[in-house]
Amino acid sequence: MSMIKIEGVHKYFGENHVLDDIDLEIKQGEVMCVVGPSGSGKSTLLRSLNHLERITSGKIYIDNVLMDHRENNKDILKTDPKKVSALCAELGMVFQRFNLFPHKTVLQNVTIAPITVRKIDKSEAEMKAKELLKKVGLIDKINEYPSRLSGGQQQRVAIARALAMEPKIMLFDEPTSALDPELVGEVLEVMKQLARDGMTMMVVTHEMGFAKEVGTRLIFMDEGKIVEQGTPKEVFENPKNERTKDFFRSIL
Amino acid sequence: MTAVQAKAFLAGTGVTIELTLISIAIGLVFAMILALGRISKSKILNGITWVYIWVFRGTPLMLQLIIAYFGVPMVAKTLLGHYVNISMFNAAILGLTLNTAAYLAEIFRAGILSIDKGQMEAAKALGMTYRQAMLKIIIPQTYRRVIPPFANEFIMILKDTSLVMVIGLSELTRVSKIFAAGGEAKFYFIAGGVYLFLTTISTLIFDKMEKAAAKYE
Repeated sequence: MSMIKIEGVHKYFGENHVLDDIDLEIKQGEVMCVVGPSGSGKSTLLRSLNHLERITSGKIYIDNVLMDHRENNKDILKTDPKKVSALCAELGMVFQRFNLFPHKTVLQNVTIAPITVRKIDKSEAEMKAKELLKKVGLIDKINEYPSRLSGGQQQRVAIARALAMEPKIMLFDEPTSALDPELVGEVLEVMKQLARDGMTMMVVTHEMGFAKEVGTRLIFMDEGKIVEQGTPKEVFENPKNERTKDFFRSIL
Repeated sequence: MTAVQAKAFLAGTGVTIELTLISIAIGLVFAMILALGRISKSKILNGITWVYIWVFRGTPLMLQLIIAYFGVPMVAKTLLGHYVNISMFNAAILGLTLNTAAYLAEIFRAGILSIDKGQMEAAKALGMTYRQAMLKIIIPQTYRRVIPPFANEFIMILKDTSLVMVIGLSELTRVSKIFAAGGEAKFYFIAGGVYLFLTTISTLIFDKMEKAAAKYE
């Protein structure tokens, strides 16, 4: 079953063609890894899915529903803001810089969206939040403010916060790039667990170990195009494109 | 100082405090709306609020007070055909409120814009609407950041209430001037002392508020 379908998507920032005719389909349970040099459009692609960026043209289906259809920066499909918000709630997103809410405690960070958006009862939301925080190993930190946590802990709270909305798909935008090397492992561990539990994931990452271990598919992007795709093993061991070969040579 | 003079001073101080608190309280709510208008994507809202702030920051408060008291009845006469009288106190509140709202709006706007854009993105990604994100995520975070400039504006308005003597309202400065007219300058200095006392208290309270608000940092 197709969870995400992207058809003929283009995106321009001014003159800059950051997404150049992207077609991509992600099926339920897939862990799609997106790699490529910086500026290749991988974050923009991810952010287009939940409207943090608006595409210039093309179509995006989420869970088989057409959610974005644009030409020349104009909506062909009229998007109702309420519907867009509901769609965003189906897509959990984890950011490079965590973006936790600093004025809320760990527990409040995880409960605020279910209470505000899903209108779930506070006590029920807290119960569920505690379960999730236990899963990411932070049950002893529920009353701390984010500023008191390490980067790795903050990112794990951010994952729990996204999961609290019970998303169908999780999007990760370089989730370990802002972390000290010794904190990367704890975040990847949580993500691997999530993958094993069958979550559909799209992960922009430079963590090749992670891609090899849990990635079901990998795309390599360069200058706004998908230049190579396959299983992570195929692409790593036998890259066909010159740009891909150069990239792997430079990061390994 | 005689008992009568002391009583008049006390009453004048009361008027000064009332003017400050009421105009700041109403101005605060109004300023929040203006600030949201200034950052909104709607060109019309943006334009209206821009013009408002441009006018009220670009003309003297004293002139605004004069217009509120003397000008409003004249305008009413032209528009409605009869005078609409406005009390001195209400005119003073009107002038001070409209003026402080323009300044506070800019303070709030700067506060909102100072919040990292990742906060709005995270809120949106969690399915919050713009309104929910503003109310629950962005505005609460601006609170601590706007306390220092807000304290500045509060103290400014507290002192600028002295300008309402131009329309004849007996606040602290006017009371001191009336008594000093008898040849005794000490009344001016007493008024100055009262202002200093009030501004000092305000500063202490705002410092406390700022510290309390910083608990999550």
